[in-house]
Amino acid sequence: MNEFQNILTNKPNLGATQDFLNRRIFLRNGAAALSATALAGLLPSLSSEAKTTGNGFPNFPAKAKRVIYLFQSGAPSQMDLFDPKPLMEKQRGKDLPDSIRKGQRLTTMTSGQKSFPIAPSIFKFARQGNSGHWMSDVLPHLSKEADELCFIKSMHTEAINHDPAITFCQTGHQLAGRPSIGSWLSYGLGTENKDLPAYVVLTSFGTGRPDDQPLYDRLWGAGFLSTQHQGVKFRNSGDPVLYLSDPKGIDRKMKRGMLDEIALLNRKNHQLVGDPEIDARISQYELAFRMQSSVPELTDVSKEPKHILESYGPDVLKPGTYAANCLLARRMAERDVRCIQLFHMGWDHHGGLPNAVKGQCRDTDQPTAALIADLRQRGLLEDTLIVWGGEFGRTVYSQGKLTATNYGRDHHPRCFTVFLAGAGIKKGFSLGETDDYCYNITQDPVHVHDLNATIMHLLGVDHKKLTYKFQGRDYRLTDVHGHVVKPILS
Amino acid sequence: MTIRYAACIFIFGPVPLLAEIDFNQQIRPILSDKCFKCHGPAAKNQKSKLRLDSFENAVKSHGGVVALVPGKLEDSELHWRIRSDESDEVMPPLKAKLPLSPKEKDLLDQWILEGGKYQKHWSFEPLPASVPVPRSDSSDPRNEIDHFIAHELKNSGLHPSDEANRETLLRRVTFDLTGLPPTLDELDDFLADKEANAYEKAVDRLLDSDAYAERMTAEWLDVARYADTYGYQVDRNRYVWPWRDWVIKAFRENLSYDQFVTEQIAGDLLPHATRDQILATCFNRLHSQKVEGGSVPEEFRIEYVADRVHTVGTAFLGLTFECSRCHDHKYDPITQKDYYSLSAFFNNVDESGLYSYFTGSVPTPTLELGDLPSDEGIRQAQEQLRKVENSDEANDAFAKWDGNQSGEVLELSGPVAHLSFDEFKGGKLSNSVDPKKPASSSANNKLVEGKMHQAMKLTGDDPVNLPKGVGDFNRHQPFSLALWVNPSQLLDRGVVARRSKAWTDAASRGYELLLEEGKPSFALVHFWPGNAVRIRSKKVVPLDKWTHLAVTYDGSSMAKGMELFENGVLLESEVIRDHLTREITGGGDPFLALGQRMRDRGFKNGSVDELYVYDRKLTGSEVRSLAQFDSEATKEDLFEIFLQSAYEPYLKQAIQLRKEREAFGEARQRIPEIMVMREMPGNRETHILNRGLYSDRKEVVTAETPGFLPSVDKSNPSNRLGLARWLTSPNHPLLARVTINRYWQMIFGRGLVSTSEDFGSQGKPPTHPELLDWLARDFIDSGWDLRHLFRQMVLSSTYRQGSELTRTDRDLDPENLLLSRGPAYRLPAEMVRDSALAVSGLLHRKKGGPGVKPYDLKVSFKVINPDRAPNVYCRSVYTFWKRTAPAPVMMTFDSSKRDVCMVRRERTDSPSQTLVLLNGPQFVEAARVTAHKLVDKFGKQKDDKLVAHAFRLLTSRKPEKQELKILYQLLAEQKVVFSDLSKAKEFFTHRPQLTGEFKTKTDDPTHLAAVTMLISALMNFDASISKR
Repeated sequence: MNEFQNILTNKPNLGATQDFLNRRIFLRNGAAALSATALAGLLPSLSSEAKTTGNGFPNFPAKAKRVIYLFQSGAPSQMDLFDPKPLMEKQRGKDLPDSIRKGQRLTTMTSGQKSFPIAPSIFKFARQGNSGHWMSDVLPHLSKEADELCFIKSMHTEAINHDPAITFCQTGHQLAGRPSIGSWLSYGLGTENKDLPAYVVLTSFGTGRPDDQPLYDRLWGAGFLSTQHQGVKFRNSGDPVLYLSDPKGIDRKMKRGMLDEIALLNRKNHQLVGDPEIDARISQYELAFRMQSSVPELTDVSKEPKHILESYGPDVLKPGTYAANCLLARRMAERDVRCIQLFHMGWDHHGGLPNAVKGQCRDTDQPTAALIADLRQRGLLEDTLIVWGGEFGRTVYSQGKLTATNYGRDHHPRCFTVFLAGAGIKKGFSLGETDDYCYNITQDPVHVHDLNATIMHLLGVDHKKLTYKFQGRDYRLTDVHGHVVKPILS
Repeated sequence: MTIRYAACIFIFGPVPLLAEIDFNQQIRPILSDKCFKCHGPAAKNQKSKLRLDSFENAVKSHGGVVALVPGKLEDSELHWRIRSDESDEVMPPLKAKLPLSPKEKDLLDQWILEGGKYQKHWSFEPLPASVPVPRSDSSDPRNEIDHFIAHELKNSGLHPSDEANRETLLRRVTFDLTGLPPTLDELDDFLADKEANAYEKAVDRLLDSDAYAERMTAEWLDVARYADTYGYQVDRNRYVWPWRDWVIKAFRENLSYDQFVTEQIAGDLLPHATRDQILATCFNRLHSQKVEGGSVPEEFRIEYVADRVHTVGTAFLGLTFECSRCHDHKYDPITQKDYYSLSAFFNNVDESGLYSYFTGSVPTPTLELGDLPSDEGIRQAQEQLRKVENSDEANDAFAKWDGNQSGEVLELSGPVAHLSFDEFKGGKLSNSVDPKKPASSSANNKLVEGKMHQAMKLTGDDPVNLPKGVGDFNRHQPFSLALWVNPSQLLDRGVVARRSKAWTDAASRGYELLLEEGKPSFALVHFWPGNAVRIRSKKVVPLDKWTHLAVTYDGSSMAKGMELFENGVLLESEVIRDHLTREITGGGDPFLALGQRMRDRGFKNGSVDELYVYDRKLTGSEVRSLAQFDSEATKEDLFEIFLQSAYEPYLKQAIQLRKEREAFGEARQRIPEIMVMREMPGNRETHILNRGLYSDRKEVVTAETPGFLPSVDKSNPSNRLGLARWLTSPNHPLLARVTINRYWQMIFGRGLVSTSEDFGSQGKPPTHPELLDWLARDFIDSGWDLRHLFRQMVLSSTYRQGSELTRTDRDLDPENLLLSRGPAYRLPAEMVRDSALAVSGLLHRKKGGPGVKPYDLKVSFKVINPDRAPNVYCRSVYTFWKRTAPAPVMMTFDSSKRDVCMVRRERTDSPSQTLVLLNGPQFVEAARVTAHKLVDKFGKQKDDKLVAHAFRLLTSRKPEKQELKILYQLLAEQKVVFSDLSKAKEFFTHRPQLTGEFKTKTDDPTHLAAVTMLISALMNFDASISKR
């Protein structure tokens, strides 16, 4: 008899560990399938982290429990969607007056251009709903939700190129390296769902401009915060989370068994070396195991009723589309994911804007409207904040040739439009105005820092108080700026 | 007086108010945290004139009110303000929400009473010439380190731990010094070696290994923000890995650290710099670089310079220079002027803010990584040509030549294209040389009255394009252009003619005739500005009249082979650049075009007429003729025309010369280029930039080291070399301290200064200041010898302690600040992966070369196809690093993103880490291959031996009984599960993308699968992935 058989036969007393082992084997061999909860009860160190609390936030009552941020990457044209400028029709083809441009810095794509011909929008606008919001006719579905929406037409930013501008929206700074808004929220507020990450990111390519500027992981990075706060980007193909699937041939039961033995080994080692980090690691194994069920369950939309699926439009079952992501966003909201961020690419329309905008709106109009309606009918819109917007606006003058049916627009940081809806937001309201050229803000300017301060405020976080000391400095999302935009709060 | 600035008070509560106040230890932290924001060194942007950052400032009178009157509480406003009950008087103000504790108030008062003495911040004090080693009762001192540690442990309630057992020790030191686990043979040898110096021998063996050099390099890549791609959005690949191999070589050869630093900062400026020394300066170019269309080049060039400053600041000075980019530092005495003065060292480089989108040119300045081909052929051909030219035969033939008599110059050798701009139909402009090859233009350009008949007025946005191939000259081809121009406005910049796809987007690749501030400027460009030849006229072309311009070029790639003519007269011109070593063709638009270039400024509202293009260098007489000066050709010019057009021996030899140049050029072109530092011709002014904005230039500054640090030895040059000499001078307060601290952190898991990136007043003070100084001095005295430093650390008893955590430890010193036990933490990313590869035997020990692509790049943010075996098994230091899609496995285990200089990594535990270890192809495969090996070795019947062996292979120690029991259980269970053969077969189905390239062959899949699961479990075991 070798030592192996010997030990198995004689079952020496292994103390508490052995007790646990025996009970586990009993459970596994019994009729009841072993659930994670049952195991958690057996391993005391695992059950203690049902909810990860944040770092002292919310620090006042929050209106919103979570945010769905629908980022329109590439910068949608405000005057072709929400901010009509009918007077421009008479100015068609004329140069933008210097009195309006005021020496504004331009990208080098048009700074060499010899004229700045005004390009009135090709789209028709009409007032929608009781609120009378002006909406472009490329947005038929969102138009029906007009009374739910609150527009800010006086957004402005500092960056003029995509990379710095998106980084600025996400982190409050143009250069990479600081934590993103979702990471700050995860750090400050913790998570409500022990089976899912607090900050999830979904991306989609736009049909309006399929070759648009790409995105990069650092946009939802945690910067100098701990990596556990970084956005988990769900992948559009294969596993939604890196290496979520077990190798083929391994089933859940086997995995459970193996994890239990790893836990036993690790607990044994913990007795030996006394390092509390081992406990932390054991709990991460458990979260990973739970995510192996919770994430596939989350992303499995096969049980969604037909009418719901249809409401999101024809792309809803194509993974990686904006429509599919909107549906996932709702499912995450139901599961209390704190910060759900969608990035839809393809809004960078330097040329061929009319067609490109139509493509982008085909991608996003119906799903966005459906998401709002779907959340509302489930009572989730009351505590979910929705934000829709890009990184800057676009110019009233045409980049490249202006024709009767075609034009392009360059980047424009001085004004752009975003909308918000849901928790704590005035319904059917509009803030801010721009001049007749949609070039400068004439009333109620709102800076990106202000928008970020407001998002945090609605989630119960004073943006000035949520700070982190790094390299000798207290950092925060809004740098040393930002004011909560009170007029839009309900 | 010994300066005491220990930080133990942070562990054991404040020092009782007995001894004299220590400013750095007790007062500076209060002032820094609670007062400096408004009364600190930031001279501007503060509400009050009062500054408390120096004695001189604190005792200044402000309208009769004095903050600090030494020794006199009653007269010191500071005392009254901090004790005030009035809400509008009390300091710090209530709304700042930074109240002083009663203890802090008492300390401040005591300080005033004792005279309010200031000290320099500890890390700015010069490094002492020697540091006394404290007497301690260390039970087992092996070297000085142990005395310092024992000294601080005394009275702490903590006791040093016993030495770790030999297995643990060898495992620890092998990971620390080489990043790999010990092999079982190494382990057995070590255990069998009963000599007293067995451990020393092992350490020396490890230090003298390639693995050591690779391990050191992996750490340095974070500091150097090394990446194989440019970063930002487009993030193309770039060729920088030879620099990484230089680093490996430097560590392998134990290059002294002062030299290591000097060569990276300024290797190019060393006397008789070797190729390797110049290569080292690639360090300064490893920052992200931009190519996004529409970006302002200057904005990003400034960004690059700033990145160099921040990197030097963090890596060598341990200071947060970035704060001072926009304003004087709020906490440290770094002024904005200091920042820009330091940036001036790195500003004098002939670089562009954008790399080239349309070509693969390496951004300048560059180093050619290879020996230049011989140019003997060119010299001989030139010599030969001169001989032909000066030969009697040539003179005789010339005398007999028809052209000599007729003097008709232009008809002799025709142009390759001629546009008269007299007819413009259907978008075509006729080309009198070849009617089948007309030029084309948009209708926005219009015909207007010209110099001769009609001319074309250009919009500046619409080009006139010659057909493909026309005018697409390479740099060895002599050529000439001539045309009439009539500018209607003074342009900063206007493209008159070009063979070049784009301006910044192609780094101006090609040749071009511009008007720069109205002055004709002629250039041949490989990559602007660092690889190009350009001459520029000193004269502005007049507005609203016709001027004839001509440029000629002789195929020499040199400025002296270029000429500019105005109205037939050779212009006096200045040489702007004279360094062209690579091709000028390529990038798109292989034809000559007029008036416009992509994202450039065109010849707006200017007119052009009578364009002639020649594939030879025109003589002055010919140019004069084109410019309608009907003077006779000079004898010399006629002779040259004769040679170039009618004298066969000359023509033959000219072709030979061109061939030689082409051969040389092509051979040279094949030598790879790498970005390095080189001082540019002339001196670029460095300005203070208001709020850091590239366009808001303020006063000019010169290259100087920060004013608050000891000044530079005047004998040093005021360039990067001087900077390096200053940094590595033996009394520099920072470099040695910052360096030994970073390496201490590498070995002990945290620095003596735990904020290894910040030695300023907001950083953490050192836990063992004297030890830090002693080690720094010892390091310098050893000749900046890294191996000496590591020997000191790992041979100490402090390092050799066991790492077990007792309850007392946990209560008194959870972070192990006092080092009463050995270091313990989860292995860094590279080691987690490399050790899995090592135990499985898969590890491929290829050294150096291009970055390799392991399996996980397939699932990175931008999908990159992995390499095949064996490249997928290389050490992680060689992993291809794409900035926008860094290797997911590395990122999951907290590796630096390498966006910017990082000297310290986070250490986190996340669910993703467990998924990687359990399911990642690299790990699944390593487990399977390990299982294979063990089953081969032990067969089916010796599972007990197999388990014990596996345990030891993965953890370097023998299992305990309980551990064996768990593992036997696991194996037994998995055997039961895999007795379902369909599952086992499914498990072993070859899926290279999911489970690796290794093909499983077994006659007992059940057993192998169960053993694989056993290994996988062990790979997730704390004892495998942690340093203990």
